[in-house]
Formats: sequence, C-alpha cells, structure tokens
Amino acid sequence: MPQHIVQRYDDELKKLSTLIVQMGGLAESQLAAAVDAIVKRDSKLAEEVVRGDAKIDTLRNQVDDFAIEMLARRQPMAADLRVIVAALRISSEIERIGDYAKNVAKRAVALNQAPLVRPVHAIPRMAALVQALIKDTLDAYITDDAAKADAVWARDEEVDDLYTSLFRELLTYMMEDPRSITPCTHLLFIAKNIERIGDHATNIAELIHYTVLGEMPKEDRPKGDDTAYAVVNAPGGQR
Amino acid sequence: MTVETLDPIAKQADTTMPPKVSIENLAFFYGESKALKNISLPLHDRKVTAFIGPSGCGKSTLLRILNRIYEMYPKQRAEGKVVVDGLNILDKGTDLNMLRAKIGMVFQKPTPFPMSIYENIAFGVRLYERLGKEEMDERVESALRKAALWEEVKNKLHSSGLGLSGGQQQRLCIARTVAVRPEIILLDEPCSALDPISTAKIEELIDELKDDYTIAIVTHNMQQAARTSDFTAFMYLGELIEFGETKQIFTHPGKQQTQDYITGRFG
Repeated sequence: MPQHIVQRYDDELKKLSTLIVQMGGLAESQLAAAVDAIVKRDSKLAEEVVRGDAKIDTLRNQVDDFAIEMLARRQPMAADLRVIVAALRISSEIERIGDYAKNVAKRAVALNQAPLVRPVHAIPRMAALVQALIKDTLDAYITDDAAKADAVWARDEEVDDLYTSLFRELLTYMMEDPRSITPCTHLLFIAKNIERIGDHATNIAELIHYTVLGEMPKEDRPKGDDTAYAVVNAPGGQR
Repeated sequence: MTVETLDPIAKQADTTMPPKVSIENLAFFYGESKALKNISLPLHDRKVTAFIGPSGCGKSTLLRILNRIYEMYPKQRAEGKVVVDGLNILDKGTDLNMLRAKIGMVFQKPTPFPMSIYENIAFGVRLYERLGKEEMDERVESALRKAALWEEVKNKLHSSGLGLSGGQQQRLCIARTVAVRPEIILLDEPCSALDPISTAKIEELIDELKDDYTIAIVTHNMQQAARTSDFTAFMYLGELIEFGETKQIFTHPGKQQTQDYITGRFG
C-alpha cells in the first residue's frame, strides 16, 4: 500500500503490527514450552510457562492502549480502520491462546505427579500442528496474505480430527484401567486446550481475511470435532 | 523482554525540562471586556501544543499575545506573565523585532507577499540579517526544504508566490517563518482554507518541524489537534478548562466540560 503523507502514521501502524507479532510469537513459544514440559516431565519448566503468561497480558494491554490512542488521534478510515480494529480483536485472541498454554502447563505439573500413560505421545503431535497454525497465521498477518490465512482456517479441521481420535483413545484407556483416570483426565483437558488454541488461530485467520478483503469469510469453517456427540462403549458388555 | 525498547515513536514528554514558554496568570482585555482569565500553562520545548475550544473561547487571542502582535491594535492589553527562556516578554523593555524573529507566526489564510517565491523568503531575512547572495540562496533553499516545498518550486523561484496553490502558499508562509530562524512557531488555523491532501502535508510538516521548534497551534478542528499535537489545551469563555497530554485529553479527559466538547455534547 502507498505510504501515508504523515509518516508517523505509518510508523504507528508498523509498531502496532510489531506488537501483535511479538505477542503471537510469545504465545507460540509458551505453547511449545508447555508441551515440552509434558514430554520431558519437567515441572520446573511448566511453572516457568505459568509465570510467563503475564508477559502476554502486558503486551495485550499495550496493544489495546495503543490501538485506542490511534483510533482517537488518527481517525482511521477504510483499510487503516480495519487494521486497527482487527489488532484490538487479534490481541484478545492471542491473549486467550496464552491462557490455554498456561493451563496446559498447570496440568503438566499435575500430570508429572501421576504415572506415565501411553496416550501422552499424541499431545506433541497435536501441539505441533497447532503451532504451525499459529506460525502460519502470523506470517499471513505480517504479509497481509488473505489466501494464506484462509488456508490456515481450513487446516484447523486436522486438529479437530486428531482431538476426536485422542478423545476416544483416552476414554477407552480409562475404562481399561481406572488407575489411569487421573492422568488421562488431565490429558483430555490438555488436548482440549490445544484444540481451543487452534480455534483461536482460525479466528485470527478470519480477522486477517477481514483486514485484507474488507469482509469476514462467508463459508462456515469445516469442523472435525464431533466429540460432543461421542459415545464410547465399555469393553465387555453394555447396559 | 522489555517492551519499551521496541518503541521507536512514542517520544514521551520530558516534563522535567523547563518549558520553553511559561504562561503565568495571563489575563487579556479588549477595552473593558476581559477575553482571557487567569491562564497558566507551559509550552514544552520542541513539542506541539494545540489550543482547542469553541469560537470566542480566547485561543487565537492567546496566540496573539505570545508575539505581542495584539499591540498593533488600540485599547488591548495583557496582564500577567509570558516567560520565554526566563524573560517575561510582556515587559516594556522587550525588543519587539527580536521577539517576532524568535517567535514566528503563520495565519489562517495564506498571506504571500506579491513578489517572487524567492523574495517572499528573502524579504523577511533581510529585516534581521545581512547575507551575501550565496548565503541568502542557501537560506532560501533550506527554508523551502524545511517547509517541504523545495521540490515543487525549485525551478520557478523567481515567479510570483501568488501563482502557487493554496496549500503551497501556506507552506511558503511557513518557509518564510522558518527562514528567520525562530525558536517558536505559532500556527493560527493553518489548514482551515486547505483541502485534505494539503492539510495532511502541513500536518506532516508540523511533525517534522517539531524536531527543531516549539510549536503552538490553534485549531477549531479538534481532530487535527488530536493528530498533530503532543499537548492539548481546552479553552472555554476565556478560561483554560484543561491542559494535558493529547492522548489523555482525547481518551480520558479529566473534566466533564472537555469530555462534552470533544464528544460533541456541548450544550
């Protein structure tokens, strides 16, 4: 896009997007560290992640404060208006991602005190998918690439599918061995948290689509999470 | 991680520095009628201070006191102090010529002299300094560059200033002001006669000029005040209602009257 006549306006928009990307990068690494804490059973790392969330919250406040100042002082129009309004909403989405990463880390601490259960291996796989979603979303944000954002948006279905299969696996596991109920329940919530992070990444992708093209995506997002309807029968007989 | 180091633009006001101009208990009279009541506020060094308020609130009057231009009219007088670099400019002994060289002013309507672009600028400089041809050429060029007009006029310096567009004329007037090397620039509704693009150019110019000059701008366009200034003063009926950082004034003003005015609820 051509530059503004008032250069400082461009500087400010750049600063806003830098803050967003910084926030997003931080959220991405929080998730990575939380999952690492599960894989390595490292409670100290998990606690660091829990504490680290405050940084994201601080950045969120900074983004909001700055976006509000820009709305008041620049009286933005058209594309600029969309960029600033989207930044306000994206910062909320990232802040939620941070909260979920923090929650994963908290549960990692609990999980590390229980015996190891096999389905743990599915968590890093799911997390890797979601981290890629976040990363690609941020790339799309930086480059104003609506097509890339749309691709992220469609890819969240894979995360949902993985979550659904993990959900079933965990239920089966718990039925087979009641001693695994505590760790498996934590894993279930961890998986749900990661799945929710994917949803927030797609929300951001939608906002990028809106910023670039001026309208929200029209179709309904393909969804693969049907755990709300899932029934898994206990082995060896049913009522 | 420090977020502060990221911030290349937000130059926070250093209010620990002494202000460039300190207005203290200033009152102003047009004959018997009191147009300004007990105004006190600073103009911070190399910052833009905007004055907003409804017509007749005294904002232009205040600006006219700062270079004592009001003295050209009878029965007008000011009381109180306006301290610039430690000296009260309202004192009788003040050298008005030097004062007006130090404090330049640009008016609402562009007022180029009926002479060439070059002469428009050289004319003012000659009142204060004797420069050789080369030095004068340099001065004219640097003033036109500072006013972001050089590229547009460098090939027609000797044609009439009246042939320029409104926006160019206004930038010529700013160049004329800058050429005498003032320290403070007063802008009285500098964009009210201009289209949005010319206005944006002047606003960009203001943003560049504040690196070197202390600027006061009077505007009835409060959006412009929000865009261009670091500090904002809201005046009403000759009184200063509120003075503060522009961000604060336009996002959470301290006084109900300010809130009502900037949100368009003024009764």
